Amino acid sequence: MFDSYVINVATQIIIQAIAAYGLNIIVGNAGQISLGHAAFVAIGAYSNAMLTTVAGLTFWQALPISLVIVGIVGLLCGLPSLRVHADFLAITTIGINFIVVAVFQYTPFFGGSMGLGGIPSVHMFGHPLRAQGFFLLCVVIMAIVMAICWLFTRSWSGLSCFAIREEETAASSMGVSPVRAKLTAFVLGTMIAGLSGALYAHYMKFISADAFSFPFSVTLLSIIVAGGLGTFWGPLLGAVILGVMPEVFRPLVDYRMFLYAAILLLMIRFMPGGILGGSTMLSIKNLAKRGKTAKGGC
Amino acid sequence: MSLLVEQLLNGLAAGAMYALITLGLALIYGVMKILHVAHASVYTAGAYMGLCLYTHTGSMLIAAAGSMVFCAILGVLIEKYIYFPLLKFPPYVPLISSIALMIAIEELCRLVAGPEVRTFPANLPFPSFSICGVTVSPTLTAVYVVSAVVLLLLWLLMTKTELGLAMRAVSQDMETASALGVDTQKTVAITFIIGSAIAAIAGILVGIYYNQVYPMMGEVPAYKTLALIVVGGMGSAPGAVLASLLLGLAETFLIGYANIPMPRDALAFIAMIIILMWLPTGLMGKRQK
Amino acid sequence: MSDVLVSVKNLSIHFGGLKAVDNVSFDIHKGEILGLLGPNGAGKTTCFNMISGVYKPSSGQVFLDGVCTNGLPPHKMAAMGVGRTFQVVKPFAGLSVEENVIVALGMPHYGKFASSWRFWNAKPSRDAAMELLKMVGLEKEAQSRAGLLPLGNLRKLEIARAMALKPRLLLLDECFSGLRHEEIQVIEDLIYKIRDTGVSILFIEHNMKVAMSLAEHIVVLDHGRMLAVGIPAEIQKNPAVIEAYLGKGGDSDAA
Repeated sequence: MFDSYVINVATQIIIQAIAAYGLNIIVGNAGQISLGHAAFVAIGAYSNAMLTTVAGLTFWQALPISLVIVGIVGLLCGLPSLRVHADFLAITTIGINFIVVAVFQYTPFFGGSMGLGGIPSVHMFGHPLRAQGFFLLCVVIMAIVMAICWLFTRSWSGLSCFAIREEETAASSMGVSPVRAKLTAFVLGTMIAGLSGALYAHYMKFISADAFSFPFSVTLLSIIVAGGLGTFWGPLLGAVILGVMPEVFRPLVDYRMFLYAAILLLMIRFMPGGILGGSTMLSIKNLAKRGKTAKGGC
Repeated sequence: MSLLVEQLLNGLAAGAMYALITLGLALIYGVMKILHVAHASVYTAGAYMGLCLYTHTGSMLIAAAGSMVFCAILGVLIEKYIYFPLLKFPPYVPLISSIALMIAIEELCRLVAGPEVRTFPANLPFPSFSICGVTVSPTLTAVYVVSAVVLLLLWLLMTKTELGLAMRAVSQDMETASALGVDTQKTVAITFIIGSAIAAIAGILVGIYYNQVYPMMGEVPAYKTLALIVVGGMGSAPGAVLASLLLGLAETFLIGYANIPMPRDALAFIAMIIILMWLPTGLMGKRQK
Repeated sequence: MSDVLVSVKNLSIHFGGLKAVDNVSFDIHKGEILGLLGPNGAGKTTCFNMISGVYKPSSGQVFLDGVCTNGLPPHKMAAMGVGRTFQVVKPFAGLSVEENVIVALGMPHYGKFASSWRFWNAKPSRDAAMELLKMVGLEKEAQSRAGLLPLGNLRKLEIARAMALKPRLLLLDECFSGLRHEEIQVIEDLIYKIRDTGVSILFIEHNMKVAMSLAEHIVVLDHGRMLAVGIPAEIQKNPAVIEAYLGKGGDSDAA
């Protein structure tokens, strides 16, 4: 029914939105910095791709394994966030992105710079899903992810992440273990990113490492900031806006990237709270933070 | 042996050029605590402006001076209209704006000057000489001399002048510096001017040295320099210089000598992570208590 | 059994070359209000931080009901019944006043995987939070964003949050600082009410008038060392104490 071009764009938007929901848990809910989220999308993508091509599993069999793999790597990468502060952490997460992409790009096992192809379709009830079916599958999965996020924000675990985000010192004096809260957010957020990656792999049927490089992490971060950090609809809204924009400018071919960057710049500059006016943008500690060296302790 | 010397000279030159780009970033981070990723596009703009002026006037002096002024103005505008209003928000807000800005400036360069790689043939008034059988071209000499002069001037500025003292005070604690009468606004603006002007020099040097000026040339140093300021110790200019020299040498040797097929960006970050594990505040960072 | 709740023995800590706290010992009895006084930089907050788990002592020990708590992190200390407020208020600014208290009410749940997925917005939690807000007089502000409250209310919120832990020991760090006279009275009454429920209280305070009226016993620190111990009447006449305050040109009453 729908134009295949529209379905294509819509599918990509949904896949990005899923990854963005994962990032929203880490950055929006727990207040942790993560500028390398694309790395975890990559791990999910490559994991599912390898398991379904080399190991011959189906999408559904490979998926849980991929999620566990991403979760473990996410846990390991979350550990530096415990010892390292703010700006250091930002650059460290960028570094993780670069290193993961380099590993996938330069290891022949993963196809090297030629990428990995021949990824099979997703089958449901014995039939391979075509464009529309796959799109609907993505929408359903996104709805499930949104439900998980909603449940998370209503749980004690989620509340502990909010407390850490607002005031880590006070939160720990109230019984919240910062380590536990941060790692929970990281593992949950990165697993959702891995889920998005798996879907991406089966959508594109071919993946190569540079699709997951740092600019993609920036896109994901821009999505949640533009939509409204820490809000429920923010990631979806941001994904739609930032996904539709380049398509709207497509006729302008040459000016496309410039306009995209310029509009993003203007949005962030004049609406840093995002469209939905995300949470905690002007919390007390941020007002006082700038220009001071980090003062430890309380 | 002469291969070793040649690699050494190349590595030092690469390191020196990294140092010039990273210096601006380190100084700016020091006073404003902002990761000015767009600095790499100011560098690119500087290269283009230098090329344009040189092509039209034939004078390297005018090209360099004009480019420095251009970048200085660009830097100050960025600080005033983009970063300053965003200071009160969490750090990823100015960071995203910086990245968006970088893309915008790069795209502008591409739209105005065209996507093709241009050459930057220039006759630099420096001598050529020979060490251990290796010829040091005028360009290479220029890189060493210019970098050394810039570093020296900057060192004099930071240690001997009131402005330098103000910059160091603001980078330690903006609030206290302000309470002691330092005009922090002006100090930050001047830091951007100095940092951006140095980026212009770096752009021109790199353009001449590799004989390439193209819109995406900023992508190479952009993220690497972030790793370099971390390794150097956030906000420490001497640390940034040291880290840059080390990276220049490491890249040249590992890729020229040992042929390790790692992309250069990843190398910088791997080195960063290794060094951070050993020295959590970087090579010359202040230990925060 | 002994009626000593907290026993601090030969507590010391140094940062680099600086000895911030040097050989400090005192006891806090059950249901007692103990004041920890001293000029600026005497090491009072540092002692708090060692008792509440933020710092690990370099030497000496802190005993809570006979159990040594050295090195236990703050969230474990909270679980052991130690609640605290902060000298510079640290509300969860983006959350509502009610939510601020509920965070502390969740203490029994955070450590356990299963219960950490339960909802926090349930009626029992909200009722318990309202009880605590009523106790401190903030029930009308329950839905306000904490970041927008004035200082007096923020100090009350800090106390409500700490009390949500059902603590045995309450550490109050300059909870009267910046308050007007009427507000000080209200908080003082609140503290007596809390003490009457059996909670022991250790407080730091610069306002001498309040400190002397509130405390049953006082420990005075200077430059990290113990200067004097005794009841308020004795401390006020103690020449060393007077010199420590006046001799530094420090304020003997102030806010």
